[in-house]
Amino acid sequence: MEKNALSFRDVSAGYKHRKVLDHVSFTVREGEFVSLIGPNGCGKSTLLKTAAALLKPLSGVVELFDQDVHLLKPARRASLLGVVPQKIESPMAFTVSQIVMNGRISSIGRWGTLSPRDHDLVERSMIYTDVLGLRERYYTELSGGEQQRVALAMVLAQDPDMIMLDESISHLDINHRQEVLQILMNLNREKRMTILLVSHDLTLSASISDRFLLMNSGRLIKAGTPVEVLEPQLLSTVYNCDLRVQQDPYTGYMQVSGAIDSLHRQKKLNRNVHVIAGGGSGIELYRRLLIEGYELTTGVLNRLDSDAEAARALNIAVALEQPFSPVGAEAIAQALKMIDSADTVILTPVPFGSGNLVNLDLARAALKKGKTVLLANDIADRDYTDGKAAVQLVSSLLNDGALGWQSMPELMLQLQQHSYNRYQ
Amino acid sequence: MGMNDSQFCDENSFSAKNRLKSELRIFLFFAAIILLLALSMLLGPSGIGIPDMESSSGSAIFSLRFSRLLMGMMTGAALSASGVVFQALLRNPLAEPYVLGVSGGAGLGATLSILAGSGLFVSLGLPVVAFISAVLTLMIVYGIASQGSSGHPSVYSLILSGVIVSSICSSVIMFLVSTASVEGMHNVIWWMLGSLQPVSSAQQQLSAALILGGLGGIWLLSPRLNALALGREMAHYQGLHADLVLVVGLLFATLLAATAVSLSGMIGFVGLIVPHVMRAVFGPDNRKLVPLAALGGGTFLVVCDALARTLLAPIEIPVGVVTALAGGPFFLIILQRRMKQAWIA
Repeated sequence: MEKNALSFRDVSAGYKHRKVLDHVSFTVREGEFVSLIGPNGCGKSTLLKTAAALLKPLSGVVELFDQDVHLLKPARRASLLGVVPQKIESPMAFTVSQIVMNGRISSIGRWGTLSPRDHDLVERSMIYTDVLGLRERYYTELSGGEQQRVALAMVLAQDPDMIMLDESISHLDINHRQEVLQILMNLNREKRMTILLVSHDLTLSASISDRFLLMNSGRLIKAGTPVEVLEPQLLSTVYNCDLRVQQDPYTGYMQVSGAIDSLHRQKKLNRNVHVIAGGGSGIELYRRLLIEGYELTTGVLNRLDSDAEAARALNIAVALEQPFSPVGAEAIAQALKMIDSADTVILTPVPFGSGNLVNLDLARAALKKGKTVLLANDIADRDYTDGKAAVQLVSSLLNDGALGWQSMPELMLQLQQHSYNRYQ
Repeated sequence: MGMNDSQFCDENSFSAKNRLKSELRIFLFFAAIILLLALSMLLGPSGIGIPDMESSSGSAIFSLRFSRLLMGMMTGAALSASGVVFQALLRNPLAEPYVLGVSGGAGLGATLSILAGSGLFVSLGLPVVAFISAVLTLMIVYGIASQGSSGHPSVYSLILSGVIVSSICSSVIMFLVSTASVEGMHNVIWWMLGSLQPVSSAQQQLSAALILGGLGGIWLLSPRLNALALGREMAHYQGLHADLVLVVGLLFATLLAATAVSLSGMIGFVGLIVPHVMRAVFGPDNRKLVPLAALGGGTFLVVCDALARTLLAPIEIPVGVVTALAGGPFFLIILQRRMKQAWIA
């Protein structure tokens, strides 16, 4: 019967002023090879720290081989679970063999002695990870990849039943990456070692993992087989970009790749986009459009608005109005001129009040001039005008041919299609 | 394995050669220590050479030199070993008893008890008061540094608050001295300059017991100090009670530094630079480093004291002046050449 290696039961965890994990529940079975994936900052490292009892959960229980991890003695915990962190730094000049020896620290005798078994474990894990030849070298002098193999050797010397690796294979060259993965797979198969691998290489993880855990903003979004989790729609939303997933016809493995096509490769698209934003709602869009190579203008914005500051920093032409003032005729004329030379006008999810309602008139003008107009959805949530004027204006714009957009990947796709149609 | 045999052979002989080299180095170190200690027994304001043991003044000179040697060994060993531990625990080459405010706190406690009383009670109470005030100071430093962090202060905030608390302590000492009686002022200033004048034998015995206990405790802790060198998190993952090791290590190091201060006053330089040099010569493995640094620190202070009482005899130079003036350039040369073996610059 298979036991549970690691269970999170409704665990919330984090730091003093910042909750990171939000009611996470999952189970890794003994002998499983599981990959933990998700965008930067989604809480993967915090999850590992919580699993290893470095962080105490704010609520919920973490169990390691069916025992509450916070009740385990440190030495016992280390014999169950080893952690290979992203990077280990040694400020002092320890040699590789001194570093690997640290893996046995929890079984060291009172007089600082190690048993022959300890020495065997150290030697064996150095052979396994191909660092025996480096043992007299200073750890700090090694390359990043060599350091990671030494770190793995040190954790293997712990002889744990489960290993968690925090993006620890990302710095390895292709030869040693294959090798380390082979080592992990062998440990997994032959010794039934449970492995939890934090990974950014989805394709690679898909080829070696039994199961995936997908995280986003501190929550566990989905758990399942690679085929179940690697869904283009799901991944595109979580990673906030356009991703393709294909099944390799020969191996059956899933392959995930970013959708970079010829349009993206042109440096200058010679496509002009005018963005109507405000209150910080435009910053992410500015960033994306600039990366994709669009020519940008924006406005009308009030001076000191965070979007206006961002636009100035990014060298985007802005139609400006004085701070905290209703938009005047001069600024409107300037914005209309910008719209004239734009192909597309995009409205961000900016809140509307009486002061900036005139920006919707700009959108109306753009539509009349035959421009493509893309409006952020859910205007009702952001309408603070009397009598819901913005909602009415938007719905009449949509009636007259403006398009709605929901998410950033979807918007980018719409923009591309328009460029494509226009220039074919 | 056949293919790799020759490779393994090479590595074995390589590491054997290295081991031989390090054993030779330790042998030379011990030889130098014996030589230097013997030499320092020959130096003194009464002249260079073995005093006439037949005469009563000669044997008195000899026993005085010997008890100064013991004072120097104890103080130097305690300061140097405590520096090793502070540097290992905080993973920072700047860490030492003075920087963390431990010496300042011990000094303040000692000043108070020197000014408050006299006699045997003070001389026996001195190490205890110094230790208690040093621990209190360390707790204050730790408390200040922990503000705003999630329980574990960074090394930088520890050192910063240590420097601040340390300078507050020395301001208070100066204030106390300036308002004290002439006699009290003389006693405190003489003590603050640092000197290996033998204290009462009761205080010597108590201090010897405290220092031996502290050194033993640190040596037992030393493999765990090695594991902490990779950081608190990694040590935790490896099954170490990292916070406990940190606290126990800090307490032992504070005990050593405070006892040294109560014994010989504020002698700088030994706790910072001797650990660095020893680490540069013998490597960072704390199991070897703790005893070697204790021996090296003790001998260094004994030799400095011999020079201090001989160079301008009958005037005695404060030993702290000699440690910095004579030791500084010598150690700088060694560090220049071998820093890579100790720290990553």
